[in-house]
Amino acid sequence: MTVPELVRTIREAREVLARAIGETDLPQIEAMLRNADMELHWALWNLGETVSVRPELDYRDGVRW
Amino acid sequence: MTSAVSVQHGGSPQAPSADGFWNHYIETMPRERLDALHLHKIRSLLAYAYDRSPFYRRKLDAAGVAPHEIRTLDDFKRRVPFTDKPDFVHLQREDPPYGTTLALPIELIAHHAETSGTTGVPLQIPYSMYDTVRYGESWAYGYWALGIRPSDSFYFAFNWGNFAGFWSAYWGARRMGCRVISGGGLDTKGHIQAILDKNPTVLICTPTFALRLASVAAEMGVDLSASSIKYTYHAGEPGPTALPAVRRAIERAYGAKAGELLGIAEIDAMAPGCPIGDGVHVNEMTVFAWAIDPDTGAEVRDGEIGELVVTSFANTAQPLINYRTHDLVRPTRTCACGRTWLKLEGAVLGRADFMVTVRGTNVYQAAVENLLAEVPGMSSFYELVLRREKGNDTMTVRCEPVPAVPPDQWSAVGKAAGEHIHAALHVRLDVDVVPPGTLPRYEIKTKRIIDERPPEFRRLLDRTGARA
Repeated sequence: MTVPELVRTIREAREVLARAIGETDLPQIEAMLRNADMELHWALWNLGETVSVRPELDYRDGVRW
Repeated sequence: MTSAVSVQHGGSPQAPSADGFWNHYIETMPRERLDALHLHKIRSLLAYAYDRSPFYRRKLDAAGVAPHEIRTLDDFKRRVPFTDKPDFVHLQREDPPYGTTLALPIELIAHHAETSGTTGVPLQIPYSMYDTVRYGESWAYGYWALGIRPSDSFYFAFNWGNFAGFWSAYWGARRMGCRVISGGGLDTKGHIQAILDKNPTVLICTPTFALRLASVAAEMGVDLSASSIKYTYHAGEPGPTALPAVRRAIERAYGAKAGELLGIAEIDAMAPGCPIGDGVHVNEMTVFAWAIDPDTGAEVRDGEIGELVVTSFANTAQPLINYRTHDLVRPTRTCACGRTWLKLEGAVLGRADFMVTVRGTNVYQAAVENLLAEVPGMSSFYELVLRREKGNDTMTVRCEPVPAVPPDQWSAVGKAAGEHIHAALHVRLDVDVVPPGTLPRYEIKTKRIIDERPPEFRRLLDRTGARA
């Protein structure tokens, strides 16, 4: 897998995670999904991708602290 | 995932990552791409800090600069004002614990650390959970470059206080999936016994404590060069990179490879050691660094000595932007190891202010002076004497009581000074009280720091006296 392919795959995974984060009402599972999204944000960061300062800022529905 | 990931810049297939790199793709990224990334991150960070930190909003407004006006790295260097540790300490004292420096709601602060302040009041350092991940990653770059792998096991020979350095070393070891063994609560002999019993392959501690352990082990009849330790890794004070004599002594004592990382508690474990051993590489994923003439603020050219100025992308809880470190460094942009990340030859070569490191704790002359002034019966005349004893740097505060204090109370005044310094700085300094009128009086350029250490145990600029 090339780096661009890897980046595309990670971005798609974040889209899936964002949907799940927005729809779960289980605090434990939401925390796990947020951690997973944080790791993927960090992976993009360390592939030289231009992402936001923190993963929450990427959510389409705005900042969710 | 079954297929290998290519690392060629531009995305075409090529050979997998070289073994000596934690992430070959970004550690060898061309300068133009690194700088383009820095500009993007800086613009994002400025907007983030401006929106969320009252401190930065005031700072940028006062400078007449809006985040969107920064279009080049030169804009950033010229227009965005410097920040410095006292700015943060002052605001934190006004509104504890973090004041207006915070950029996240306090409920998102996951870890708290402290570091010594220039005046004796510690700097409070908040990290979000994500910040601790980013911080630990910087250690992983250094561990991997030295040869440490996930199958290794770490022994942490220190107590877990509020110091950021070795907490982050732990975050890095966890990041790599290594076995972690805590030495918290043990004395020196206890650490040695734990190493013999638990067979760790990596020792984490300050360089001076590594030598202290080896010395005590020898007294116990234990040869640590025959132990399980294969690597030692250090931070907190000048170590194997800055002081070749220390490298030789540690590697001989442990029969191991010694590594060093330059970290700044509030910034990041920002510059892991180069595997060649003659410098450290700034982690350009988490830090943007440049160097200035400390007197004029003008940027110095590559290869010249200047004060390191850093912007951290690791600490989103308390952003640090164009932050003056007062560390004197010689930056270069090429290295035989293949990394394109900015190299600081010899790590930190000296200080632009009056700070020395004693047993891993930064001790500022001004802090000691302020603390002495708070001790009843103590005069304003003092010296800080640095010596090398039994493998450790030591500092003695040589000071005078005021003449009104009778000689039979000098010892009590000295004891009070030692306790006051320990309470504030968390480091024990010897206090030597001398009769009033003993210490030299200066009309100009008062000399407070008396360095009696052998030259090989001083940083380069302290050895050569290049900066008074």
